[in-house]
Amino acid sequence: MISEANYHPSTEMLKKFTAGSLLSGLNVAISAHIELCETCRHKTSKIEAKAAIDWLQTNDDQKQNDFSGLALDIVNQPQIEKPREKEAILDQIHMLDHSVSLPKVLAKAASQGLVWKQLGGGINQALMHLDDETQCEFIYMKPGSQTPMHKHQGSETTLVLDGSFNDELGHYQRADFIYRTEKDMHQPRSEEGCLCFSVLDSPLTFTKGLARLLNPFFKYQFRRSAAGRGI
Amino acid sequence: MDNLAEKQFAVRKASPPGCTEVGMVPSVENNLDPTSDEALLVKVSNSKSKEAFDQLFDRFANKVFAHGMKIMRNEQMAKDLVQEAMLTVWQKAPLYNMDKGNVQSWIFTITRNRCFDMLRKQKRQSAVLSADDIWPAGFEDAEALSEAERGSVEVQISQIEKLVRQLPAAQQAVVEQIHILNRTHEEAAQFLEIPLGTLKSRLRLAMGKLRQSLGTES
Repeated sequence: MISEANYHPSTEMLKKFTAGSLLSGLNVAISAHIELCETCRHKTSKIEAKAAIDWLQTNDDQKQNDFSGLALDIVNQPQIEKPREKEAILDQIHMLDHSVSLPKVLAKAASQGLVWKQLGGGINQALMHLDDETQCEFIYMKPGSQTPMHKHQGSETTLVLDGSFNDELGHYQRADFIYRTEKDMHQPRSEEGCLCFSVLDSPLTFTKGLARLLNPFFKYQFRRSAAGRGI
Repeated sequence: MDNLAEKQFAVRKASPPGCTEVGMVPSVENNLDPTSDEALLVKVSNSKSKEAFDQLFDRFANKVFAHGMKIMRNEQMAKDLVQEAMLTVWQKAPLYNMDKGNVQSWIFTITRNRCFDMLRKQKRQSAVLSADDIWPAGFEDAEALSEAERGSVEVQISQIEKLVRQLPAAQQAVVEQIHILNRTHEEAAQFLEIPLGTLKSRLRLAMGKLRQSLGTES
């Protein structure tokens, strides 16, 4: 199930991922992409090695602490002799007519259970709460679905897990990692259907309850609810 | 490991111990600098050496502390991080695999992960995903594992030998130790001066490749 991705996270993003300085939701999207993308896997280990060297060479003027006794406490603890057996987790997600295997981190995240909501226009959404700063969700576009033209507020990261979709800027399939900022305008459509993991980081907008207007895949819902409110 | 390839190797186990098999390249780790981080961690891993751990602790504890101060800006939390991270180093030493990166990188990732988990707890965030889920120790491992399976096909010993010689030197050395010299995993790790985790992982990769080449994969 490994496929060669055409769209990857930027080097800058991988550096932040390695340093642990991204928001959780984004970390998860990158982790999942890396599992599917050998190129980024190698790139990340190199960045990690470099980060370790920088870490050790930094001369921070911290006082040298006396941790005496701590090492002794530690060596009295037992060591782990072999890797813990992996707990059984859901690693497949069942779509209409087939199953999709998920990257491990997403399988774990989804193991708490997914609640799918139909948003109209052939778009389905299952929200997950991974941190307080991002909105994370699985999005399933049915074959032939299309969202209206829209712009982004904040940034949106999309990882394709199955099927494919297009917009004005490209064609995206399994393992592709797409990062969109507020400047981008696009209109995703999917001929064959598409399952994605998506992360939106626009907390201010979310707290005002407007996020959905701005989420590409939610435009339909906006239209419907806006119509419902007589706007 | 009770597969055909092993049975074929068993034929050659009569070779005197320590002899160098044709095509076997001595492993580079035999010549580890005894003062290197790698050599120390191997000692911690293979013989639970407290002295070796003490030295590693001295080298890294203040670096871990500095990382904690930089990220969490709190002295007590930075000290807690030293305890958490160095405890993980001690506990997971037997799982360290030098094929996946050097000791510095390994301790760096442990420090980052423990720090990430501490912050997550502090912010009372979702407990669903821990740092080790986001930064798993080895993506490759999973593939190697799923590759492993048995079958039974008649194969000539000479064919296996040829395939063994095509393995990377480090994997050849491990196969030689286990399947030709009939050593236990622990003995082989001691002899090659590599952590047990590295040995097992190399053996798994090597046997996976052999099975694949021999068509004994299910």
